[in-house]
Amino acid sequence: MNSDPAINTDARWLVGLLQAGDSYYPTGAYAHSFGLEGLVQAGMVKDRATLREFIFLSVLPALRQAELPLASHAYVAFEPTAPNWVGVGELCVLSHALKSAKEARTATENIGRQRAELAAALHGHPLAAEYLERAAAGGWPFSSAISAALEGRVLGAPREAVLAGVMYASIGGLLAASMKIMRIGQNASQSLLTEALGQAPSVIAAAASVPVAEIGWFNPWLDIAAARHETADGRMFIS
Amino acid sequence: MSGFSGHLSLRAELRPDGRTAVGAQAFRAPYHVSKPYWDAETRTLLVQVVNPTAGILSGDRLESSVEVGAGAALLLTTPSASRVFKMREGEALSTQRFNVEAGGWLEVMPEPLVPHRGSVFHQRTSLIVAEGGSAFYADLLMPGRVAHGEAWEWNRLVLELDVRHGGERLLHERFDQNGEGLRALAALAGAGEGACFGNAVVLGAGMDAAGAPSWRDALHSLHTDGVWIGASQLRLGGGWSIKFVAPDGIRLKQKLGAIRRILAGLCPHLTCDARKL
Repeated sequence: MNSDPAINTDARWLVGLLQAGDSYYPTGAYAHSFGLEGLVQAGMVKDRATLREFIFLSVLPALRQAELPLASHAYVAFEPTAPNWVGVGELCVLSHALKSAKEARTATENIGRQRAELAAALHGHPLAAEYLERAAAGGWPFSSAISAALEGRVLGAPREAVLAGVMYASIGGLLAASMKIMRIGQNASQSLLTEALGQAPSVIAAAASVPVAEIGWFNPWLDIAAARHETADGRMFIS
Repeated sequence: MSGFSGHLSLRAELRPDGRTAVGAQAFRAPYHVSKPYWDAETRTLLVQVVNPTAGILSGDRLESSVEVGAGAALLLTTPSASRVFKMREGEALSTQRFNVEAGGWLEVMPEPLVPHRGSVFHQRTSLIVAEGGSAFYADLLMPGRVAHGEAWEWNRLVLELDVRHGGERLLHERFDQNGEGLRALAALAGAGEGACFGNAVVLGAGMDAAGAPSWRDALHSLHTDGVWIGASQLRLGGGWSIKFVAPDGIRLKQKLGAIRRILAGLCPHLTCDARKL
């Protein structure tokens, strides 16, 4: 553990990431369960034990092999002094091509768009403004992971901190949704969050070494449940 | 460790008489191509790709390239499952590319992949369909030699599928799992030791419906008797992903047959009989 006091620049990006990761930040993520509602409807996730299994067998591998590597490569491509816009555009397309289920793409599109627009509106940073212009001109789809990388660059945050923010937002959002779908309380949810976030050092380190060509991971049951959720008779969440 | 470095190159073309024929082919072991069969009723050329060896071994490097010319229609299949044998070291790699030109139709429907205990196999598939072209691609995966009590015991399986239509990348999937990981997921789903997977995509005219098509309801109605199935539209509305899981290989193939029958209203070439028992 580093006991050096945080310097002012650290405090600036740190509070920025805290703001961006707060449920009060209007990304619209509260409207998504990221496939969990479909799995609950299918009977695959039904209690704390099965939710824990789902997180460790599916959510963490997907973060390690897909969302975090996307954010990591986007962070590099968003180098403020010389952005690699071709690379950013390719990662945007890849972020959607990785998701066979339409609802999963809708979730990342809506959250990613909102995050990118907030980054431009709140911070007035030229990188965010140029990203929005190029995305509109090129028809790039939005991605929550890629917009998180943009936020990180706008705030001046280091890559590992950005990946930690993506990991927290992903698992925290899923568990927040779980309390509305399942019989699980706040303490049980927080204990799962704590346990899952305990994996952050190894998951983030592994994700940072995944090359673009090896980005991707899927859980067949999750994709099937998400596809069926599109036509469910009743649902609380968009995804 | 020594292995085959096999290749297959095949091009189907539309002849002036309206039939599809093999315009060019070249192959080297372990690939072998059977005599093509013209299905006059569905106007589809059926080609079986045979691997006359026991299966895929460590060090094997397999490359295939299949092209379907404008207006041609091809059904490519295999007569038997592809077994990936135990490997003390190394891995086997298969790279397959499928290209469909405007007005062409390609169906790829191989028998299941069966990864044995201790195997390491990497399959890269690229499906490129031009605007105006159509395709149905289906991959089937068994958990292992279930009849021998062996399931989920492969060391690593990587299945990549990249799909482009009209120059746009619609799908890029990467399944990268050890057997233990998928066994645990199957257990969580209550799918049992014999769970088998199907991963299909369909591309072509009529796929860009904004609303929910009735054929999706028909596909989803197959979600019974322990079978999971879901269909979702790919990005840009250029096609559909269809994933299905069945408790055993028999039901997996039955569901694939049902999927083909349901989609035949959109893709008439899917009524072509693969002429297998």
